[in-house]
Amino acid sequence: MKKLSGVIIVVVAFLLSGLPTHSAFAQAKKKANKDTEDWRYEVECAGVGKEGTYMIKVWSYSKKPQVAMEQCKKNAVHAVIFQGFAGGGQGCTPQKALTNNPALEQEKADFFAEFFADGGKYMKYVSTANDGAIGAGDRVKVGKEYKVGVIVTVAKDNLRKDLENAGIIKSLTSGF
Amino acid sequence: MKRIVIFLFSFFLLINTGFGQAKKPTLMVLPSDAWCNSKGYMLEFDNQGTKEKIPDYKRAFQEDLDLINVVSKINEIMAQRGFPLKNAETVLKSLAAESAEDNMTTGKTKGGSIAESPVDKLKKTAKADIILQLTWDVLATGPKKSVRFNLQGLDSYSNKQVAGAQGTGEPSFSAEVAVLLEEAVLSKMDNFVTSLQSHFDDMFENGREVVIRIKKFDSWSDDLEKEYNGKQLGEIIEDWVQANTVKNRFSKTDYTENMMLFEQVRMPLYDASNKALDTRNFVRNLQKLIEAPPYSIPCKLTMKGLGQATLTLGDK
Repeated sequence: MKKLSGVIIVVVAFLLSGLPTHSAFAQAKKKANKDTEDWRYEVECAGVGKEGTYMIKVWSYSKKPQVAMEQCKKNAVHAVIFQGFAGGGQGCTPQKALTNNPALEQEKADFFAEFFADGGKYMKYVSTANDGAIGAGDRVKVGKEYKVGVIVTVAKDNLRKDLENAGIIKSLTSGF
Repeated sequence: MKRIVIFLFSFFLLINTGFGQAKKPTLMVLPSDAWCNSKGYMLEFDNQGTKEKIPDYKRAFQEDLDLINVVSKINEIMAQRGFPLKNAETVLKSLAAESAEDNMTTGKTKGGSIAESPVDKLKKTAKADIILQLTWDVLATGPKKSVRFNLQGLDSYSNKQVAGAQGTGEPSFSAEVAVLLEEAVLSKMDNFVTSLQSHFDDMFENGREVVIRIKKFDSWSDDLEKEYNGKQLGEIIEDWVQANTVKNRFSKTDYTENMMLFEQVRMPLYDASNKALDTRNFVRNLQKLIEAPPYSIPCKLTMKGLGQATLTLGDK
């Protein structure tokens, strides 16, 4: 009996020791989502992608580098819909956002809350280039946080088509 | 039972009128005069002693494979966006075929040929409401090549550029011009379509921008300065334009006793019964006003595409 209670104590202690880590991770994730809503990310063109896609590099912030890396995907789709991005080297052309309605995020808040939820539909349109491997200079410690840059590919044609079909953004033919 | 039938009839009528669709503008890609000139696709003719050059689109489409590829890529992208374009090469071919058929057509019993006025002949050209004017050239720095690309959406009636995308691609040592061109089209088209979308948004909000011309036949003894109840005919026409435009928007560019020119006229896209309007339908109401008493002036109404109409006073 004494042996059994010893085992229980060890198991409970093990679980408890894991909880703070899990909670810190969840908090970092929550903070990263808030950053996305507050446009706290940077996006730049990373080259000419395949037809129907944009290849962009997204910089995200978090205390946990893993969270920042994962958040880059969400930020990439967010940027393509609402922000657009500047051009630069690698034959990059500046691209405008999919919507030209500045109030769209508020007008369709319910749709976007579900769309950008963790594991939400946004995942369908984004994938990391180079299997998510990041360059040596793409993980920078800034104060207490990490700033992580990941190159991702966004399937912008599919994204636009689905948003048009869902009635979120207008298509070129709407009204005709 | 009768009530149900009336209800269903009104319901379907409501649905039909409620979903009126605006007249869709036609779009066509054409190479610019500058591009045709640089490639030597020009026709030269003597215009009463002055040598003039006009672009030879037929030869350009027959000989330039890069042009065909670029036009086809733009057509494909626009079709994917639900806006298929008129293909200039095919339009030119069908115009030639139609002309040949008209020449050969005669009536079976009386032997009459197809009626065609000089104006009808003039109107037989490749046209679209918005021309997508295409220009590119290949820049070389040593062995490196890059493509400078420019696509302009030009409104055929207001002569304004309503959309555009331009830029120079990344220089490359090895890529072929065809590849650089495809890359240029792919990277520029999204911005082009976005600016075109903004133009359409503006059109739905503020009306279609059109041009209205008022002219008179020289056989008509009166003119636009003739007074009716203390108002000149020209002023009466202007009042009509003001009252019938969206947010009363228009510019009176020219006004003489013989002619008036209204530009930047923002006409509504639908009439009172929610039917889509073109400029002819719109100006037809002005024609009806002028033909009715107390004015009783016969008028001839001609149109050019969706966005230009001319009302000539004094005859039919």
